[in-house]
Amino acid sequence: MASRYDRAITVFSPDGHLFQVEYAQEAVKKGSTAVGIRGTNIVVLGVEKKSVAKLQDERTVRKICALDDHVCMYFCKILTIFIGLTADARVVINRARVECQSHKLTVEDPVTVEYITRFIATLKQKYTQSNGRRPFGISALIVGFDDDGIPRLYQTDPSGTYHAWKANAIGRSAKTVREFLEKNYTEDAIANDNEAIKLAIRALLEVVQSGGKNIELAIIRRNQPLKMFSAKEIELQVTEIEKEKEEAEKKKSKKNA
Amino acid sequence: MAATFFGEVVVKAPCRAGTEEEEEEEEAGRRETPEDREVRRQLARKREVRLLRRQTKTSLEVSLLEKYPCSKFIIAIGNNAVAFLSSFVMNSGVWEEVGCAKLWNEWCRTVDTTHLSPSESFCVFYHLKSNPLVFVCQCSCYVAEDQQYQWLEKVFGSCPRRNMQVTILTCRHVTDYKTSESTGSLPSPFLKALKTQNFKDTACCSLLEQPNIIHDLPAAVLSYCQVWKIPAILYLCYTEVMTLDLITVEAFKPILSSRSLKGLAKNIPQGTEILKKLMTTNEIQSNIYT
Repeated sequence: MASRYDRAITVFSPDGHLFQVEYAQEAVKKGSTAVGIRGTNIVVLGVEKKSVAKLQDERTVRKICALDDHVCMYFCKILTIFIGLTADARVVINRARVECQSHKLTVEDPVTVEYITRFIATLKQKYTQSNGRRPFGISALIVGFDDDGIPRLYQTDPSGTYHAWKANAIGRSAKTVREFLEKNYTEDAIANDNEAIKLAIRALLEVVQSGGKNIELAIIRRNQPLKMFSAKEIELQVTEIEKEKEEAEKKKSKKNA
Repeated sequence: MAATFFGEVVVKAPCRAGTEEEEEEEEAGRRETPEDREVRRQLARKREVRLLRRQTKTSLEVSLLEKYPCSKFIIAIGNNAVAFLSSFVMNSGVWEEVGCAKLWNEWCRTVDTTHLSPSESFCVFYHLKSNPLVFVCQCSCYVAEDQQYQWLEKVFGSCPRRNMQVTILTCRHVTDYKTSESTGSLPSPFLKALKTQNFKDTACCSLLEQPNIIHDLPAAVLSYCQVWKIPAILYLCYTEVMTLDLITVEAFKPILSSRSLKGLAKNIPQGTEILKKLMTTNEIQSNIYT
């Protein structure tokens, strides 16, 4: 049944599916795993980093990008990560960055996280409704602080929908990571900045096979500039996490005994 | 196929009624030249499935299971199923390589099976040294439709014994799973089982529902076992990640408690460690997908 209605974006199937949009969501699952967490005073973005080919310049394989950077009373940034088709991500990031500057020039105010998310989502939706074009095969996690100081995390998908989340994951094995977050995201866990960072790393370690050296992490604390974690800092966090895990297991076995 | 103005693609269906002109064309095509016959012969020879003994690398005269009768035969098809067997079953006990299958097709071009790199496809048979009636096959190469029957004949023989139990492990992409639910809500990866009539034990997961079907070599083996009344069960893992993936391989774990694999996996924590090491031969970042 699907094969008769899935070759053109502008054709609905009899049971209401837009198969090309659903197939675009499968393209997202071919990308790496990314996780976003909204803490009380911090937002965290983490992504799985695969090894780069020997002769390839690692600097050109950056996944976490800044969308907007404006120095007003506070250092603010909107961070994003796109998962799915790399080329589609580059095109959408460029459009979003232009929109951020254009908005600032026009109304003299920086964009809010929700505004730029809505812009990206509207752009994606346009490409699900014209013939001759295909949907963007990317999902995005967009984090940042607005002027009111409230942290935000939004997720968009190829169909052009966007929602706010407390914590979410996209990409390969996103479901497993989301289930982990549902079990472990508590108000206590995210009240403390360090705990929020640890939660993001623990969630990624569920699916990242080779540990801390394959994780890229960025955070924004309220009223502070963006911080990209170095490999050493991530390794430190991973060691702490493993220590806590061992202690928890020891306690458990003592209890059982 | 033709694209319409609106961008739809229309497939031209063949006419079932047929015409006189078509019949004449068919007859002309049937008149083969000797060159055509020679090309066909060479192609058939190239696509032959050869079963080789380990030490001597000579072909086996009889089928594998005639030469090495077994009571338990576990076949892993696909890289995740193969990784599962390597980590959890073949880490306990000493397994001896008995032979390998060499074949060529458009997807599987491995010619020399003596020095294989981890990324190449292979099809190798082992038996447990302490109990040679337990047989394992690790098949990571694609066996094409025209080669499947040859593979079956060379492995099982033309008149296989019924007093053995066959277990097949394989993976399939979750988008092939037909269900009224949306694929987003499926708990992938998940296991489904399909068994032959003579398999009397219980499966360790739910059975595969209609209208889902099995494909390729697993289907060929299961059909063969059904026809020859051999008790056999196929465990199919539907997953979103068809490349080597920790979560997909771990989805096979419930099978370790089944009667087919009981007693074979002795050290499960060690198996998990071995699996993690297999995974660290990290795949390079694809430039297309970020």
